[in-house]
Amino acid sequence: MKYLVYVFRNIRRNPVRTLLTVASISICLFLMMLLLSYLTINTEVAHSLSDYNRLITMSSQGFTQPVPIANVATVAAMEGIATVGELTPEDKEHRDKKAVSPFSWYGGRYKDDSMPGSQFGIDPETIFAIMVEMKLPPDQLKAFRDDKTGCVIGKKLAKDKNLKIGDPYPLKGTVYEFNLDLTIRGIYDAPENRDNRMCLYHWAYLDEGLKRDFQGRAAGNAGTIYFKCKDAAAMPGLIKKIDDSFRNSSTPTKTQTEEAFAQMFSEMIGDLQTLIVAVGMAVVVSLICVCGVAMAMSMRERTTEVAVLKAIGFGRGLVLALVLVEAVIVSTLGGVVGALGTKLLFDQFDLGSLVPGFLPFFYVPWTTALFGLGLAVLIGFVSGVLPAWLAAQTSVIQGLRKVV
Amino acid sequence: MGQEPAIALRGVCKEYRREQIKIPVLTDLKLTVDEGEFLALMGPSGSGKTTLLNLLAGLDRPTTGEVVVHGQDLAQMSEGQIARWRSRNVGFIFQLYNLIPVLTAFENVEMPLLLTSLSKRQRRENVRTALRVVGLEGREDHFPRQLSGGQEQRVAIARAIVTDPYLLVADEPTGDLDRQSAEEILELMEQLHREFQKTIVMVTHDPIAARRASRLLKLDKGKLVGDVIQAQEVAS
Repeated sequence: MKYLVYVFRNIRRNPVRTLLTVASISICLFLMMLLLSYLTINTEVAHSLSDYNRLITMSSQGFTQPVPIANVATVAAMEGIATVGELTPEDKEHRDKKAVSPFSWYGGRYKDDSMPGSQFGIDPETIFAIMVEMKLPPDQLKAFRDDKTGCVIGKKLAKDKNLKIGDPYPLKGTVYEFNLDLTIRGIYDAPENRDNRMCLYHWAYLDEGLKRDFQGRAAGNAGTIYFKCKDAAAMPGLIKKIDDSFRNSSTPTKTQTEEAFAQMFSEMIGDLQTLIVAVGMAVVVSLICVCGVAMAMSMRERTTEVAVLKAIGFGRGLVLALVLVEAVIVSTLGGVVGALGTKLLFDQFDLGSLVPGFLPFFYVPWTTALFGLGLAVLIGFVSGVLPAWLAAQTSVIQGLRKVV
Repeated sequence: MGQEPAIALRGVCKEYRREQIKIPVLTDLKLTVDEGEFLALMGPSGSGKTTLLNLLAGLDRPTTGEVVVHGQDLAQMSEGQIARWRSRNVGFIFQLYNLIPVLTAFENVEMPLLLTSLSKRQRRENVRTALRVVGLEGREDHFPRQLSGGQEQRVAIARAIVTDPYLLVADEPTGDLDRQSAEEILELMEQLHREFQKTIVMVTHDPIAARRASRLLKLDKGKLVGDVIQAQEVAS
């Protein structure tokens, strides 16, 4: 502790160099935090989905291929699927209806949005029993069910676009040649690690429009089928039974858990984890070189000073430790700004509001932020080893040159 | 009588190697310095003054021979042992002061004490005493850049004496100072010798500085060529 004054004064000796070193670490860590958080969130969310016992049936050719709407009824008829009444007892009107819904992506643009948003055609009678974590007040649910052109939107979407109940929400189709003239009937609230930027509307509204205006082109497509099982034990049997029943049809299906469905999206981008780890390693090695050069330059300027310290009795080990501590502190400062700063930044600012269609929500988990901080400490230590060793080896005679 | 000398050099040779060539710097040097002596070393450039000073201070080792300081044969000590020995027994005064620019006068003087087990309070007391001895009370919080050359050298002297070392070594301590500041520094060194009975070895090119010492040694081509007790004779 008694040497810390000297260490901190050395850090402040060349403020521009220290600032640039800290900045280079923090900027790289900022980018790493974004990538690592994206991976961590995907894994966290996917694992949390396993609590809800939900299954998703899609086309065996991929989720962009159609699933006939008739399949919804076939699935609903199977044993092991929960009823609306079991999940939401207050909904007496639909209590015997099976918790099954089409879930058809629309991908329309609202006003001058640069990216299509997440809009899904669903069954308003069942969807909030299936997605139990999404909360909608009963009066808003009733208003939504009663209006075929109505929709409900997430609270974050409402906030982003300054929308309220009763506002029109027109969507211009990017996949379908049919525009949706929706009216907001409700605003749902879901946990922070769920998509609070979706728009859910009556599947039937889209389908009727396609049949009426486009001779039925692209009509009758459920997209995917979402449903909730009575318990986890029923899920493996149901998966097999559903896929077996459509195996010899013109549209064979693939049924999987919601967790596996979410993981599928991560894997679609490729082996993202390996890519991020490889990029991360390259960044760490680069940072070690950057910090090592800065530290080596600093020590080179202090050759005589180190020689004086050694002359007055500072041993090699102490000189080595002082330089290492200095390198670790500078790097840790970069870690605090880069890792903890990123965490605090995205606690305040929702990145998802910029790209809601791609990233419905974003946050930096504490585990990721602390990992970043630990990485900064490691970078400081490794980058300091060589300059510290060279300083410790400094010859007093050479260092003092003509002085003594 | 029979008192052990402060410094004893016996048959000391020092040579450097440059590639395959051996360059002798000191040849078969024999020297005894009594405790409390103020010794000036003079000689032309390349005569081996600084090399001899480095050997006495435990910064370098002889190629052959013995260097015994305060009863310790320095050649027999390991790197770590000799560093610890220097911290307790030797105070250094350099020509260019070599203060640490990012530390205040107080912190510079405190540096050697960080190697001891003294408490913070004890360190503070010792530093204040050292600064008082060199006449720099009230300058504790000044950084080296805020001090004159003479004041910087006084801080360096305070740093050298703060651990109350057995031996003070000074390499041209007035070489970078104007005459008035040089006189003040020499006065201070004389005072350390006179009042605190410090053993001092000073390398200098300046005959006026050498006159302050109680004994003058002259070196030439690595050999002692003069040993004068009355240093005052040099000036004449």
